[in-house]
Amino acid sequence: MGKRRAEDRVELIYGALDMLILRTLLWGPTHGHGIAKSIERMSEDALKVEHGSLYPALQRLLQEGWITAAWGISENNQRAKYYRLTASGRRKLVTETSRWERFVQAVTGVLRPAKTEENG
Amino acid sequence: MSWRRALSKVRFLLRPRPDEVEGDDLAEEIRAHLAMEEAENIAAGMDREEARHQARRRFGNVTLAKERSRDMWKWTTLEALWMDIGYALRQLRRNPGFAAIAVLTLALGVGANTAIFSAVNAVLLRPLPFADPERLVDAQETEEAPGTYPVNPADYLDWQAQNRTLEATSVYSWTNFASLAGPGEPASAAVTQVQANFFRTLGIAPAVGRSFAKGEDVAGRNHVALLSYAFCSRNFGAATGTVGKTVELNAERYTIVGIMPPTVHFPDTTDVWVPIDMTGKQFSQRGNHGLNVIGRIKRGVTLAQARQDLLNISLRLEKQFPNDNAKQHAVLFPLKERLVGGAEERLLVLLGTVALVLLIACVNVANLLLARATARQREIALRASLGAGRQRMIRQLLTESLVLSLGGAVLGGLGAWWGVRLLNRATTPLVPGLNPVSIDITVLLFTLGISVFAALLFGLAPALQLSRSQVSDSLKAAGQAMVGPSLVRQRLRDALIVSEIAITLALLVGAGLLLRSFIKLQNAGIGVDPHNLLTASLNLPDAVYPGLAARRQFLDQLLERTRRIPGVEAAALSTEIPLEGHSNGYIQVEGVSDPAISSTLIGFNYVTPDYFKTFGIALARGRAFDAEDLDHDAAVCQKMYEAFLAAGHGPPQIPTGLTLHAIISKTAARTFWKSRDPLGGAFVMGPVKVIVIGIVDDVKEYGIRAKTMAQAYFPLTQALPYDEYANLTLKTAITPAAVLGDLRRNLYALDRGLALLRPRTMEELIGSDTQDARSETLLLGAFAALALVLAAVGLYGVMSYTVTQRTREIGIRMAVGAKRTDVLSMILRQGLWLTLAGVLAGLLLAGALSRSMAGLLFGVSPFDSFTFGCMAFLLALVATVAYTVPARRATTIDPMVALRYE
Repeated sequence: MGKRRAEDRVELIYGALDMLILRTLLWGPTHGHGIAKSIERMSEDALKVEHGSLYPALQRLLQEGWITAAWGISENNQRAKYYRLTASGRRKLVTETSRWERFVQAVTGVLRPAKTEENG
Repeated sequence: MSWRRALSKVRFLLRPRPDEVEGDDLAEEIRAHLAMEEAENIAAGMDREEARHQARRRFGNVTLAKERSRDMWKWTTLEALWMDIGYALRQLRRNPGFAAIAVLTLALGVGANTAIFSAVNAVLLRPLPFADPERLVDAQETEEAPGTYPVNPADYLDWQAQNRTLEATSVYSWTNFASLAGPGEPASAAVTQVQANFFRTLGIAPAVGRSFAKGEDVAGRNHVALLSYAFCSRNFGAATGTVGKTVELNAERYTIVGIMPPTVHFPDTTDVWVPIDMTGKQFSQRGNHGLNVIGRIKRGVTLAQARQDLLNISLRLEKQFPNDNAKQHAVLFPLKERLVGGAEERLLVLLGTVALVLLIACVNVANLLLARATARQREIALRASLGAGRQRMIRQLLTESLVLSLGGAVLGGLGAWWGVRLLNRATTPLVPGLNPVSIDITVLLFTLGISVFAALLFGLAPALQLSRSQVSDSLKAAGQAMVGPSLVRQRLRDALIVSEIAITLALLVGAGLLLRSFIKLQNAGIGVDPHNLLTASLNLPDAVYPGLAARRQFLDQLLERTRRIPGVEAAALSTEIPLEGHSNGYIQVEGVSDPAISSTLIGFNYVTPDYFKTFGIALARGRAFDAEDLDHDAAVCQKMYEAFLAAGHGPPQIPTGLTLHAIISKTAARTFWKSRDPLGGAFVMGPVKVIVIGIVDDVKEYGIRAKTMAQAYFPLTQALPYDEYANLTLKTAITPAAVLGDLRRNLYALDRGLALLRPRTMEELIGSDTQDARSETLLLGAFAALALVLAAVGLYGVMSYTVTQRTREIGIRMAVGAKRTDVLSMILRQGLWLTLAGVLAGLLLAGALSRSMAGLLFGVSPFDSFTFGCMAFLLALVATVAYTVPARRATTIDPMVALRYE
């Protein structure tokens, strides 16, 4: 994990964290710490997530019924709460992802300088 | 928030002791998380201390995370709101005087708004009480003279047959009064004749019984009647038993087939609806106008398309009948537009007025809050130092405003409810009574809306201001009298007072303009002497008085008997009375070819010789009618009428060389003869020549506010062959009410079936013509007076507060040698400055607003400098008193006491 300059880190857009969590759980049930680590890995540490901020988000997702939680035993023999994606959570992820991709496309389109003019 | 989340919150709240259960769970989960991170860090080569430290850092604030997670399960905002409301109520209970004044002030503002809005809602917002009312239209016809007029019956039949855009068309007559036979003396009933499909076209059904059936609007079958609910319960009792009974109107029996629901008042105050005779003679005559026409546009057809459709038919008719139908085109209006008419402007002016009153109330409460802000500064500072954020504080202060405002809304709503009941009980309604004025859900939502808006309006500035005060500042300034009031707050208060004075002045000017206009209306003079003048109508049944001879004989007898009643100075009969004229037409003056003149309408009135004497209308030149004119014109008109009857549906053959007599008004002389002498001259009316024998002063025939129109008077006998309606007017030496009994007895002696219809004094007639102006003036005057009181209280409050604030400063000034007059002038200067600024701004505001009420004014310019000046003076005077009282108190301050103050 290389150190990045602070300004390279991106503040999470509201709602994006939910999506990242759901995405992580796509690979199978895991606990809060596991989710945090996965997000860090996925974004190559570019997304600044305070681990503490995961927990309110998890409560929200539980209420929506997109994930369920159950106590289990972790790799190093510790009692930990495991979160699992539900069917409705899976559906949500699909619609959210496509919406997210459209959003990213739109933003990139706006931010990209008009290259043709530079060249011409 | 999705419903699922909401549900899970409810479940969470219902669970026993949720905090501990969830809290323990969460704590354990977070402990596990930190342990895992720590283990990972150790594995990466950190020492135990560093690993724990890094894990904590990476996690962030543990307590915050726990709190936020738990908050996810709670109605945090709702809970905070309850807390705020409880706190607000405690605060207000601690200051009952402040709370009472604020709530009362707001109640006045909100109550006035609710009452007026309920009228706006009933008249302008709610749809007409008919089925699919937006598809209903009212049809009129244009004429050679400008304006639109009722429809010609023959044209109507063509429209009905040829149009392709209307689903249904129907007609109704003017509401007429008829004698209603009863057990004792005859009473009167307001009767409207309608086409059989009238109620089906409107989409309303009787409460009991049936509507008119197809084909019942034909002579011989049209002796059926529908009763209004009120008329039924007045004369028959329960609606159910009444169907099948008969009602005798003008000596003819009608079988009652149905009773309309109590909500149906159309047109106006009809008691009895009967079918019109669609085969009657009027439906084959072109040229005259007198029918009210409604229609229902087909689904999917626009108003513009329907307009074009009927216009095309009119244009075809114009080609077909170039003489009778010249420039006679159909015009359609949405029915609502026609019915609501001028009420819209009146209601909107009133709504604007009460909105301004509410604004003033808000300004006053804002001022109270600002004054209280000083007292609360330390409380606020304390709360801030204990960790309350600025947003939280503003929310708390706004909650207090909201509690005040809702208190005002409840009180004001009750007041409005009472006011609406009063409004409905008024004999002459302010608004056409199609929808009853009531407080419904829309009105309640409006009330709620404006009170929340008001709370923001008066609460926001003080809340922002107060929450900005720095902790250290206020705590430091424990004895803040030396510092003086914060400059910002003083400025804000000054601005509020100036705007309050300005708005008040605008309202005063509005009320003043209406008052002046009303006084002008009252003194306008209608061309007659209204003192001791009694008028009533007679409707002579065709069955009893079939023609000219019978009518004339009866009316002569009645006039003769009436003249002999003690106290009666003069009596006359006429087809029209001043202010309520409705008959008019065109004349062709010999030697005048100007089309602008020949297409000018002139009013017609058929009178007995004493008409001018009875009404006190001065004869300017020539002579009045005499008995010979009456006889002569009776014979001529009878001849014409017989020719007309003989013609059937074709054009009547009128003999040539007939002459009639007329007296014209000064305006008629000026309009039609210009500089020539009309006396002895003649004009042509259809086939006859009319000789002008006299010129009289002008009379307002169509209402006080209407322009004076040209008027022609003819001997009553001209109208008698076909007109069964006559007005009897008496000039009395004693109070008119005293002769009413004798008049009734005389009529009863002559005909036991004939009712004396609508007996009214001329003063009453003038009163009802100016009733709307009276209501407006009263309402606006009351609101302006309310505003004036509020403004005076506001100014007084601010000045008293300033004096209290500056007590110490004044004390010092006086201790170092300032005279009492110096102190007085210092305080007065502030008040004067505020008043002047307010009055100036108010004059500008009034000038900008008064234009919108130009339509309500009579004989007064909306920029009438007299009214502006008077009201500015009145306001300045009241304001001066309001700030002089506290200023004088300042001079009585004892320097020693003042210095020890606080």
